[in-house]
Amino acid sequence: MARIIGGIGTSHVPTIAMAHDRGKQDDPDWKPLFKGYEPVAKWLAEKKPDVLFFCFNDHATTFFFDQYPTFALGVSEEYRIADEGLGTRKIPTLKSDAAFSRHIARSLIEDEFDIAVFQDVPLDHGLHSPLTMMWPTQPDWPGKVIPLVVNVIQAPLPKPIRCYKLGQSLRQAVLSYPRDLKVAIVGTGGLSHQMIGERAGFNDEKWDLEFLDLIDRDPEKLARMSIEDFMRRGGNEGAEVIMWLIMRGALDRGARKVHQNYYLPMTTAMAVALFE
Amino acid sequence: MSYLFDLERSAQGLRLNRFLHALIDSSFRELFKADPEKAMQRLSDKEKDLVRRLDWKGMQDCGASFFCLEKLARTKGVSNPEMVAHFRGESLAEFLKTRRVPGAR
Repeated sequence: MARIIGGIGTSHVPTIAMAHDRGKQDDPDWKPLFKGYEPVAKWLAEKKPDVLFFCFNDHATTFFFDQYPTFALGVSEEYRIADEGLGTRKIPTLKSDAAFSRHIARSLIEDEFDIAVFQDVPLDHGLHSPLTMMWPTQPDWPGKVIPLVVNVIQAPLPKPIRCYKLGQSLRQAVLSYPRDLKVAIVGTGGLSHQMIGERAGFNDEKWDLEFLDLIDRDPEKLARMSIEDFMRRGGNEGAEVIMWLIMRGALDRGARKVHQNYYLPMTTAMAVALFE
Repeated sequence: MSYLFDLERSAQGLRLNRFLHALIDSSFRELFKADPEKAMQRLSDKEKDLVRRLDWKGMQDCGASFFCLEKLARTKGVSNPEMVAHFRGESLAEFLKTRRVPGAR
Protein backbone atom coordinates (compact mmCIF):
# COMPACT_ATOMS: atom_id res chain seq x y z
CA MET A 1 0.00 0.00 0.00
CA ALA A 2 1.11 3.57 -0.60
CA ARG A 3 2.16 5.47 2.51
CA ILE A 4 2.94 9.04 3.48
CA ILE A 5 6.46 9.31 4.91
CA GLY A 6 6.43 13.02 5.73
CA GLY A 7 5.69 16.53 4.63
CA ILE A 8 7.53 19.67 3.59
CA GLY A 9 6.35 23.27 3.78
CA THR A 10 8.27 25.68 1.58
CA SER A 11 8.19 29.09 -0.06
CA HIS A 12 8.04 29.12 -3.85
CA VAL A 13 9.42 32.60 -4.57
CA PRO A 14 10.66 32.88 -8.18
CA THR A 15 13.93 34.51 -7.04
CA ILE A 16 14.82 31.22 -5.29
CA ALA A 17 14.96 29.61 -8.73
CA MET A 18 16.94 32.53 -10.15
CA ALA A 19 19.48 32.31 -7.30
CA HIS A 20 19.71 28.55 -7.84
CA ASP A 21 20.16 28.77 -11.60
CA ARG A 22 22.78 31.54 -11.28
CA GLY A 23 24.81 29.43 -8.85
CA LYS A 24 24.40 31.74 -5.82
CA GLN A 25 24.69 28.87 -3.30
CA ASP A 26 27.79 30.38 -1.65
CA ASP A 27 26.87 34.05 -2.15
CA PRO A 28 26.62 35.56 1.38
CA ASP A 29 23.26 37.14 0.48
CA TRP A 30 21.80 33.75 -0.43
CA LYS A 31 23.74 31.24 1.65
CA PRO A 32 21.33 31.38 4.63
CA LEU A 33 18.56 30.28 2.28
CA PHE A 34 20.45 27.41 0.66
CA LYS A 35 21.82 26.16 4.01
CA GLY A 36 18.25 25.97 5.28
CA TYR A 37 17.25 23.53 2.55
CA GLU A 38 20.21 21.17 3.07
CA PRO A 39 18.55 19.06 5.82
CA VAL A 40 15.45 18.69 3.60
CA ALA A 41 17.51 17.62 0.57
CA LYS A 42 19.40 15.17 2.80
CA TRP A 43 16.16 13.74 4.20
CA LEU A 44 14.80 13.23 0.69
CA ALA A 45 18.07 11.61 -0.47
CA GLU A 46 17.89 9.19 2.46
CA LYS A 47 14.16 8.43 2.48
CA LYS A 48 13.88 8.29 -1.32
CA PRO A 49 10.16 9.00 -1.74
CA ASP A 50 8.81 7.69 -5.04
CA VAL A 51 6.42 10.62 -5.35
CA LEU A 52 6.34 14.22 -4.16
CA PHE A 53 2.74 15.40 -4.07
CA PHE A 54 2.97 19.17 -4.66
CA CYS A 55 0.26 21.58 -3.44
CA PHE A 56 1.09 24.87 -5.15
CA ASN A 57 -0.42 27.68 -7.15
CA ASP A 58 -0.15 28.61 -10.75
CA HIS A 59 0.74 32.30 -11.30
CA ALA A 60 -1.59 33.00 -14.23
CA THR A 61 0.74 30.97 -16.43
CA THR A 62 -0.80 27.56 -17.10
CA PHE A 63 -4.26 28.84 -16.31
CA PHE A 64 -5.73 32.20 -17.23
CA PHE A 65 -8.72 34.07 -15.81
CA ASP A 66 -10.96 33.01 -18.70
CA GLN A 67 -11.21 29.78 -16.71
CA TYR A 68 -9.61 29.49 -13.33
CA PRO A 69 -10.06 26.36 -11.20
CA THR A 70 -10.16 26.50 -7.41
CA PHE A 71 -8.56 23.05 -7.02
CA ALA A 72 -7.12 21.19 -10.02
CA LEU A 73 -5.15 17.95 -10.06
CA GLY A 74 -2.67 16.98 -12.76
CA VAL A 75 -3.20 13.49 -14.21
CA SER A 76 -0.42 13.33 -16.85
CA GLU A 77 2.68 11.14 -17.11
CA GLU A 78 4.83 14.28 -17.39
CA TYR A 79 4.79 18.08 -17.35
CA ARG A 80 6.92 20.49 -19.32
CA ILE A 81 8.54 23.54 -17.71
CA ALA A 82 6.54 26.71 -18.46
CA ASP A 83 7.93 29.85 -20.09
CA GLU A 84 6.97 32.75 -17.79
CA GLY A 85 8.49 35.47 -19.94
CA LEU A 86 12.20 34.67 -19.73
CA GLY A 87 12.30 31.38 -21.63
CA THR A 88 12.22 28.04 -19.84
CA ARG A 89 14.56 26.97 -17.03
CA LYS A 90 17.14 24.43 -18.12
CA ILE A 91 15.81 21.63 -15.94
CA PRO A 92 14.37 18.26 -16.96
CA THR A 93 10.72 17.72 -17.81
CA LEU A 94 8.81 16.75 -14.66
CA LYS A 95 7.99 13.03 -14.50
CA SER A 96 4.72 11.98 -12.93
CA ASP A 97 2.60 8.91 -12.20
CA ALA A 98 -0.65 9.14 -14.19
CA ALA A 99 -2.19 5.94 -12.80
CA PHE A 100 -1.67 7.10 -9.20
CA SER A 101 -2.93 10.60 -10.08
CA ARG A 102 -6.11 9.16 -11.60
CA HIS A 103 -6.67 7.09 -8.46
CA ILE A 104 -6.31 10.24 -6.34
CA ALA A 105 -8.77 12.14 -8.59
CA ARG A 106 -11.35 9.33 -8.26
CA SER A 107 -10.84 9.04 -4.52
CA LEU A 108 -11.16 12.81 -3.87
CA ILE A 109 -14.33 13.07 -5.93
CA GLU A 110 -15.77 9.97 -4.25
CA ASP A 111 -15.10 11.82 -0.99
CA GLU A 112 -17.02 14.86 -2.34
CA PHE A 113 -14.00 17.05 -3.20
CA ASP A 114 -15.06 17.90 -6.75
CA ILE A 115 -11.69 18.91 -8.16
CA ALA A 116 -10.92 19.80 -11.76
CA VAL A 117 -8.27 17.78 -13.60
CA PHE A 118 -5.68 18.80 -16.20
CA GLN A 119 -3.10 17.09 -18.36
CA ASP A 120 -0.31 17.84 -20.83
CA VAL A 121 0.35 21.43 -19.74
CA PRO A 122 3.57 23.20 -18.70
CA LEU A 123 3.93 24.15 -15.01
CA ASP A 124 5.44 27.30 -13.52
CA HIS A 125 7.85 28.21 -10.71
CA GLY A 126 5.21 27.58 -8.03
CA LEU A 127 6.24 23.95 -8.26
CA HIS A 128 9.81 23.89 -9.54
CA SER A 129 11.39 26.86 -7.71
CA PRO A 130 11.26 24.90 -4.43
CA LEU A 131 11.82 21.55 -6.18
CA THR A 132 15.34 22.46 -7.33
CA MET A 133 16.24 23.33 -3.72
CA MET A 134 15.41 19.77 -2.66
CA TRP A 135 16.02 17.41 -5.52
CA PRO A 136 18.98 17.08 -7.91
CA THR A 137 18.22 17.70 -11.59
CA GLN A 138 21.08 15.56 -12.92
CA PRO A 139 21.15 13.03 -14.46
CA ASP A 140 17.37 13.36 -14.03
CA TRP A 141 14.85 13.93 -11.23
CA PRO A 142 15.17 11.12 -8.65
CA GLY A 143 11.40 10.62 -8.49
CA LYS A 144 8.00 11.71 -9.65
CA VAL A 145 5.79 14.68 -8.85
CA ILE A 146 2.02 14.99 -8.80
CA PRO A 147 0.74 18.59 -9.03
CA LEU A 148 -2.29 19.96 -7.22
CA VAL A 149 -3.00 23.55 -8.26
CA VAL A 150 -4.85 25.79 -5.81
CA ASN A 151 -6.37 29.18 -6.62
CA VAL A 152 -4.80 31.72 -4.28
CA ILE A 153 -4.58 34.58 -6.81
CA GLN A 154 -8.20 35.45 -7.66
CA ALA A 155 -10.67 35.96 -4.81
CA PRO A 156 -12.79 34.23 -3.65
CA LEU A 157 -10.04 31.86 -2.45
CA PRO A 158 -10.84 28.52 -0.82
CA LYS A 159 -11.27 28.68 2.95
CA PRO A 160 -8.34 27.56 5.12
CA ILE A 161 -10.52 24.84 6.71
CA ARG A 162 -11.35 23.51 3.23
CA CYS A 163 -7.65 23.19 2.46
CA TYR A 164 -7.06 21.31 5.72
CA LYS A 165 -9.96 18.93 5.02
CA LEU A 166 -8.73 18.43 1.46
CA GLY A 167 -5.44 17.30 2.98
CA GLN A 168 -7.30 14.77 5.13
CA SER A 169 -9.13 13.47 2.07
CA LEU A 170 -5.83 13.34 0.15
CA ARG A 171 -4.42 11.18 2.96
CA GLN A 172 -7.21 8.64 2.44
CA ALA A 173 -6.64 8.75 -1.31
CA VAL A 174 -2.93 7.97 -0.93
CA LEU A 175 -3.38 5.28 1.72
CA SER A 176 -6.01 3.49 -0.37
CA TYR A 177 -3.70 3.06 -3.37
CA PRO A 178 -2.68 -0.60 -3.61
CA ARG A 179 0.87 -0.09 -4.95
CA ASP A 180 3.76 0.08 -2.53
CA LEU A 181 4.83 3.71 -2.93
CA LYS A 182 6.51 6.15 -0.57
CA VAL A 183 4.91 9.59 -0.80
CA ALA A 184 5.93 12.94 0.67
CA ILE A 185 3.48 15.85 0.63
CA VAL A 186 4.75 19.35 -0.17
CA GLY A 187 2.76 22.48 0.69
CA THR A 188 4.13 25.65 -0.86
CA GLY A 189 3.77 29.40 -0.50
CA GLY A 190 4.53 32.39 1.69
CA LEU A 191 5.42 33.34 4.11
CA SER A 192 4.39 36.98 4.67
CA HIS A 193 4.52 39.24 1.64
CA GLN A 194 2.45 41.70 -0.31
CA MET A 195 3.35 42.62 -3.87
CA ILE A 196 0.59 45.10 -4.73
CA GLY A 197 -0.89 48.44 -3.69
CA GLU A 198 0.54 50.90 -1.21
CA ARG A 199 1.19 48.05 1.26
CA ALA A 200 3.57 46.38 -1.22
CA GLY A 201 6.70 45.25 0.59
CA PHE A 202 4.76 44.38 3.77
CA ASN A 203 6.13 41.60 6.00
CA ASP A 204 5.43 40.49 9.56
CA GLU A 205 8.08 38.25 11.07
CA LYS A 206 6.09 37.86 14.30
CA TRP A 207 3.14 36.39 12.37
CA ASP A 208 5.45 34.19 10.30
CA LEU A 209 7.01 32.65 13.40
CA GLU A 210 3.57 32.17 14.96
CA PHE A 211 2.44 30.43 11.76
CA LEU A 212 5.51 28.15 11.78
CA ASP A 213 4.74 27.25 15.39
CA LEU A 214 1.00 26.64 14.87
CA ILE A 215 1.39 24.62 11.66
CA ASP A 216 3.36 22.17 13.80
CA ARG A 217 1.58 22.30 17.16
CA ASP A 218 -2.02 23.30 16.40
CA PRO A 219 -2.82 23.33 12.65
CA GLU A 220 -6.55 23.22 13.40
CA LYS A 221 -6.27 26.66 15.00
CA LEU A 222 -4.87 27.96 11.70
CA ALA A 223 -7.55 26.10 9.77
CA ARG A 224 -10.27 27.86 11.78
CA MET A 225 -8.94 31.31 10.82
CA SER A 226 -10.61 33.17 7.95
CA ILE A 227 -8.83 33.90 4.68
CA GLU A 228 -9.19 37.61 5.54
CA ASP A 229 -7.24 36.96 8.76
CA PHE A 230 -4.45 35.37 6.71
CA MET A 231 -4.38 38.40 4.36
CA ARG A 232 -4.39 40.92 7.18
CA ARG A 233 -1.59 39.21 9.07
CA GLY A 234 0.56 37.91 6.21
CA GLY A 235 -0.26 40.27 3.32
CA ASN A 236 -2.62 39.72 0.37
CA GLU A 237 -0.22 37.34 -1.34
CA GLY A 238 0.96 35.86 1.97
CA ALA A 239 -2.46 34.22 2.39
CA GLU A 240 -1.20 31.54 0.01
CA VAL A 241 0.21 29.71 3.07
CA ILE A 242 -3.20 28.04 3.27
CA MET A 243 -1.60 25.51 0.88
CA TRP A 244 0.60 24.36 3.79
CA LEU A 245 -2.66 23.31 5.48
CA ILE A 246 -3.34 20.77 2.71
CA MET A 247 0.07 19.22 3.41
CA ARG A 248 -0.46 19.32 7.19
CA GLY A 249 -3.94 17.80 6.89
CA ALA A 250 -2.51 14.88 4.92
CA LEU A 251 0.06 13.95 7.58
CA ASP A 252 -0.39 11.57 10.46
CA ARG A 253 -1.79 13.30 13.55
CA GLY A 254 1.41 12.48 15.40
CA ALA A 255 3.70 14.06 12.78
CA ARG A 256 5.97 16.79 14.13
CA LYS A 257 8.23 19.45 12.70
CA VAL A 258 11.83 18.27 12.73
CA HIS A 259 13.52 21.16 10.89
CA GLN A 260 12.78 24.75 9.95
CA ASN A 261 14.57 27.69 8.33
CA TYR A 262 13.39 31.30 8.03
CA TYR A 263 14.99 34.01 5.90
CA LEU A 264 13.59 37.43 5.04
CA PRO A 265 16.03 39.15 2.70
CA MET A 266 13.85 41.21 0.35
CA THR A 267 10.08 41.22 -0.27
CA THR A 268 9.00 37.70 0.72
CA ALA A 269 9.76 35.78 3.89
CA MET A 270 11.29 32.50 2.71
CA ALA A 271 10.72 29.48 4.90
CA VAL A 272 11.14 25.74 4.73
CA ALA A 273 9.97 23.20 7.29
CA LEU A 274 10.15 19.40 7.42
CA PHE A 275 7.60 17.16 9.15
CA GLU A 276 7.71 13.43 9.80
CA MET B 1 -6.78 44.02 1.77
CA SER B 2 -6.23 46.90 -0.60
CA TYR B 3 -6.12 45.95 -4.27
CA LEU B 4 -7.52 42.48 -3.65
CA PHE B 5 -7.75 40.83 -7.09
CA ASP B 6 -11.37 39.71 -7.05
CA LEU B 7 -13.92 38.83 -9.70
CA GLU B 8 -14.82 42.49 -10.28
CA ARG B 9 -11.18 43.43 -10.95
CA SER B 10 -10.74 40.28 -13.02
CA ALA B 11 -13.66 41.27 -15.25
CA GLN B 12 -12.41 44.87 -15.48
CA GLY B 13 -8.90 43.77 -16.41
CA LEU B 14 -9.65 40.79 -18.63
CA ARG B 15 -8.52 42.39 -21.92
CA LEU B 16 -5.35 43.86 -20.41
CA ASN B 17 -4.54 40.63 -18.54
CA ARG B 18 -5.06 38.63 -21.73
CA PHE B 19 -2.43 40.78 -23.46
CA LEU B 20 -0.01 40.49 -20.52
CA HIS B 21 -0.54 36.74 -20.22
CA ALA B 22 0.16 36.25 -23.95
CA LEU B 23 3.77 37.37 -23.29
CA ILE B 24 4.56 33.85 -22.03
CA ASP B 25 4.59 32.91 -25.73
CA SER B 26 8.05 33.67 -27.13
CA SER B 27 6.69 34.47 -30.60
CA PHE B 28 4.31 37.07 -29.11
CA ARG B 29 7.21 38.54 -27.11
CA GLU B 30 9.19 38.87 -30.33
CA LEU B 31 6.24 40.60 -31.98
CA PHE B 32 5.88 42.94 -29.00
CA LYS B 33 9.58 43.83 -29.15
CA ALA B 34 9.55 44.32 -32.96
CA ASP B 35 6.18 46.04 -33.34
CA PRO B 36 4.64 46.95 -29.98
CA GLU B 37 1.69 48.83 -31.51
CA LYS B 38 0.66 45.77 -33.50
CA ALA B 39 1.00 43.52 -30.43
CA MET B 40 -1.16 45.95 -28.43
CA GLN B 41 -3.81 46.51 -31.10
CA ARG B 42 -6.67 45.06 -29.04
CA LEU B 43 -5.98 47.26 -26.01
CA SER B 44 -7.77 50.55 -25.34
CA ASP B 45 -5.83 53.79 -25.88
CA LYS B 46 -5.52 54.21 -22.11
CA GLU B 47 -4.16 50.68 -21.67
CA LYS B 48 -1.69 51.14 -24.54
CA ASP B 49 -0.39 54.32 -22.93
CA LEU B 50 0.07 52.58 -19.56
CA VAL B 51 1.94 49.69 -21.19
CA ARG B 52 4.19 52.05 -23.20
CA ARG B 53 5.13 53.93 -20.03
CA LEU B 54 5.40 50.74 -17.91
CA ASP B 55 3.04 52.40 -15.44
CA TRP B 56 2.67 49.41 -13.12
CA LYS B 57 0.34 51.14 -10.70
CA GLY B 58 -1.81 52.52 -13.52
CA MET B 59 -2.13 49.06 -15.07
CA GLN B 60 -3.05 47.65 -11.67
CA ASP B 61 -5.73 50.32 -11.32
CA CYS B 62 -7.11 49.09 -14.68
CA GLY B 63 -7.48 45.56 -13.30
CA ALA B 64 -4.10 44.03 -14.14
CA SER B 65 -3.18 41.03 -11.98
CA PHE B 66 0.27 41.28 -10.40
CA PHE B 67 1.07 37.86 -11.85
CA CYS B 68 0.22 39.04 -15.37
CA LEU B 69 2.25 42.23 -14.83
CA GLU B 70 5.20 39.97 -13.99
CA LYS B 71 5.15 38.63 -17.58
CA LEU B 72 5.58 42.19 -18.94
CA ALA B 73 8.23 42.95 -16.33
CA ARG B 74 10.27 39.88 -17.35
CA THR B 75 9.88 40.79 -21.04
CA LYS B 76 11.16 44.33 -20.33
CA GLY B 77 13.89 43.25 -17.89
CA VAL B 78 12.23 44.86 -14.86
CA SER B 79 12.68 43.12 -11.48
CA ASN B 80 9.99 42.56 -8.85
CA PRO B 81 11.69 44.89 -6.33
CA GLU B 82 11.51 47.65 -8.98
CA MET B 83 7.77 47.01 -9.39
CA VAL B 84 7.19 46.94 -5.63
CA ALA B 85 9.11 50.22 -5.25
CA HIS B 86 6.89 51.75 -7.95
CA PHE B 87 3.72 50.64 -6.13
CA ARG B 88 5.06 52.24 -2.94
CA GLY B 89 5.86 55.46 -4.76
CA GLU B 90 9.58 55.05 -4.04
CA SER B 91 12.74 54.79 -6.11
CA LEU B 92 14.42 51.38 -6.14
CA ALA B 93 17.27 52.79 -4.02
CA GLU B 94 14.80 54.12 -1.42
CA PHE B 95 12.96 50.79 -1.32
CA LEU B 96 16.17 48.76 -0.94
CA LYS B 97 17.08 50.84 2.14
CA THR B 98 14.04 49.31 3.84
CA ARG B 99 15.19 45.73 3.13
CA ARG B 100 17.42 43.49 5.25
CA VAL B 101 19.54 42.09 2.40
CA PRO B 102 19.43 44.58 -0.49
CA GLY B 103 21.73 42.39 -2.60
CA ALA B 104 19.37 39.40 -2.59
CA ARG B 105 17.62 40.10 -5.90
